[in-house]
Formats: sequence, structure tokens, C-alpha cells
Amino acid sequence: MIYKILLTIWMNLIIAAVFLYVEPAVGFPGEVSRILFFHVPMAWVATLAFLLSMIASSVYLITRKVNADFLAQSSAELGFLFCFLATVTGSIFAKATWGSFWNWDPRQTSIVMLLMIYGAYFVLRSAVPDYEKRRVFAGVYSILAFCTVPFLIFVVPRITTSLHPEDTLNPANPGMDIKTLIFFLGSLCAYTGLFVWMLRLKVRMLRIMDREQRAFRSNF
Amino acid sequence: MKSGLGFVAAVNLIIWAGITLYLFVLDRRLKKLEQRSGMDVHYEK
Repeated sequence: MIYKILLTIWMNLIIAAVFLYVEPAVGFPGEVSRILFFHVPMAWVATLAFLLSMIASSVYLITRKVNADFLAQSSAELGFLFCFLATVTGSIFAKATWGSFWNWDPRQTSIVMLLMIYGAYFVLRSAVPDYEKRRVFAGVYSILAFCTVPFLIFVVPRITTSLHPEDTLNPANPGMDIKTLIFFLGSLCAYTGLFVWMLRLKVRMLRIMDREQRAFRSNF
Repeated sequence: MKSGLGFVAAVNLIIWAGITLYLFVLDRRLKKLEQRSGMDVHYEK
């Protein structure tokens, strides 16, 4: 409980600081650069969630422990949610800097492909009625889906010309002053904490649902 | 600091308060459901 209260206070401090204390970045119109404190952590959490989903799926396929499948499913769902939010915040940034919400920039195109790939994961899960088969198929698909993540997030936007700003966390060229960097890293930690909190809730929810379904099936 | 930023910060804080409130309520409800169904912390396969 204490970590949840601390996270709530921490997130409030971060929000207040990024709007009222940190200066906007040079080279961007108006105050739009402040979206960095929300957009990048969302994209980071999405990547982390997809990685965790892949690891949990591998664990499930090796051990066949149902808990690992709950973790894989929950993580993929939250990854999809944060990926979608990163797309929305990215579009707001695109409107302010590039003139329109959608430009088919390589970064925007690759994130949509990622959303479609993980959207198919949920379609697959809901299409297989048998629980055991569903978990195996979803586990294999999750591993295959994650193979595309490094390619779509790190490779595609770099092999073509992109409008998307880079080097925000490059140690050789950080592109942000120390005050901005501190609150940026603070925001990354806060979003990671939020992800962990939501993940634990979702896994608990799946456990209860699974238990109820087992009880229901055993009655027939 | 621009005058509109205070308003944007307030809106963000309200959204965040709503999210945390929802998560705390969900947490409590899940705890009650777990207690009602006698679920242990360690899940049995």
C-alpha cells in the first residue's frame, strides 16, 4: 500500500514540476516539448510490457504454469494500452510541430504496425475456445510478435528519413539540461511504477476470473 | 511561466487523481473478491 501512496504523490509532483517548474525545450514551438515527459515514458512502458509478455510466454511454454500466461496476457494488454497512448500523444506533438496529426512518418507507421500486431494477439486469444490451446498459441504468437518490436521501434525509423526527434537520451548528446533530465527520468520511473501497479491488478483479476470459470465448469 | 500552464497542470492532476482513485477502488474490490473466494496469495494451478 505504501508504494502506491508514494507513487501517487510522486506522479503529482512530476506533473506539477513539468508544467510549472521545467523550462520548455529550445527548438520546438511553444510549450509542446513538455509532452516529452508523458509520450516517451508511455513508449518505454509499452516496450517493457511487450518484452515482459514475451518472457512470461516463454516461461509458460516451458513450465506450463498458468500464472505465467496471466502475466503474459496482462502485460500484452497494458503494452497495447500504453502503445496506443504513445501514438495519441505523438499525434498531438506531430500536429503542433509538423502541421497535421498524421504524416505517415516512419515512426508513426511502425507504431501502427505494432498496434496491429498486438491487436492480432488479442484476436487470437479470443478465437481459440480451448483454454490450453489458447495459452500455447498465444505464447508462441507473443514470442514471434516481440521479434518485430526492436525492428519496428529502433530500426525502421532510423533507416529512413524521419521527422521524429532523436537523441533525447543519448549520453554523448543528451539534448536536455540537467533539470529536464531529472524530471524526465522521474517521469520514466513513475510510469514504470504505474505499469507495475496496473499489471498486478490485472493479474489478480485474471486469477479470480479463472477460478470462477473453473468453479463454473466443475458444476457441469 | 505562461498563464495557461497552471490550468493544463490542474487538468492533468485531476486526470491523475481520477486514475489513482479508480486503481485504489479496484484494488479494494479485488481484495474483497479474493477474500470471499478464499484465494491464497500463492495461486494453485
